[in-house]
Parts: sequence; structure tokens; C-alpha cells
Amino acid sequence: MLTHFSAVLLAALFISIVFGITQRAQPRMMIRFGAFCFVMFVGITIAASWLMWAIKH
Amino acid sequence: MATTAQQSADRQQIAQRIPGEKSSVPAFALFLGWLIPGGGHFLLGKYVRGTLLFVSILGLFLIGLGLQGKLDSFGADDLLDKLGFVGQLGSGLMFLLAKVMGWGASTVSITLQDYGTKFLLFAGLLNYISAIDAHALATGRKADLADDIVTVKRVA
Repeated sequence: MLTHFSAVLLAALFISIVFGITQRAQPRMMIRFGAFCFVMFVGITIAASWLMWAIKH
Repeated sequence: MATTAQQSADRQQIAQRIPGEKSSVPAFALFLGWLIPGGGHFLLGKYVRGTLLFVSILGLFLIGLGLQGKLDSFGADDLLDKLGFVGQLGSGLMFLLAKVMGWGASTVSITLQDYGTKFLLFAGLLNYISAIDAHALATGRKADLADDIVTVKRVA
């Protein structure tokens, strides 16, 4: 069964691939931009999760 | 006999289209890209990109269905459902097939189902972007650059 975090990872992976291909023209830049998007998606999600935890506690 | 450099230049000339040139290929790439994720890129000979787009968008759509996401309908009273329908319609054939077959949930009752609905929405919206990208490549609006031809040499 998909957990919340694995759902985030899969969504970030697939969306980053599409963003990389469509937003850049050169294959090397596609990979770089895709990796950047993936790191940002996952990083911001983790940061927001800890922020919500901190607000609650 | 043509040299390797000459063959490379010829290929480059063939690959690049003149912006504004009258052709039915861009419109067909747009339509095919909407109907089948990555279809427009396949039409233009971008097989790797097409395959990656197909796998990514289909993956999102299937996970959305697997999580029992809701397939929105345009006839709903809620404006957000109408917008959701427009977004999910971007998945093209997959969405139409899912609608006809009655896949997906009609209501959302648990959190994971809500995630599933978002996955279906992402799939549709990303497929719109993908189809427009194929159109831009076909018209020449988006440069089609390979790694080896954009190496810029700085001259001191």
C-alpha cells in the first residue's frame, strides 16, 4: 500500500521528469532541471511537514 | 561520399523547421500528444522523450486510479468539479476510457482518495504541457538542441 511519503516521492519523480523534458531544450539541462525540481519538491515537502509538526507541538 | 560532419549538418537542417511554416504536423502532434501521452514526441521522432512522458503520465494516472481517485464530471454543480474535469480531460484517451469503463470513485471519503484525485489531475495537466511542448517542437518555436551542438567555446 502506498504511504503518504511514497506518494509524494512518486508524484515528485513523475512531475520532475515531465518538467525537465518540457521546460528545457538540451538533454543535459533537462536532466539537471528535472533533478532540481525533484529535490525542491521533496525538500519543500519535508520542510513543510516539520513546520506543521512544530506548529502543532 | 559525405563526411560525418556533413551528415550531421544535413540531419540538423532536416530536424529544424521554419517558424510559421504551413504544415499540418504541429496540429497533429498537439492532438496526438493530448490523445496519448508522449504521442506527439513520438510523431516527431523523439522516442526517448516520448517514452519518458508516456511512462510518467500513465504512471500518475494509474496511481490515481489505484488510490481510488475521483473522476470529475462537467455536469457537476460544484465549480471546482468542473475545473477538475477540464484538468483531468488532459489525460486524453486514458481519461475517456476510464470514464466509459466506470473506473475511479464517484465520491472522496478518505485522504488517500483525495491524493488519488490529485494524481489524476496532475496527469491531465502535465499531458497538456507535454502536448504543447510537442507542438512547439513541431513549429520550431522550441529549439531542438542536442548536447553536442551547443558546446560554446570561449575565445580568449
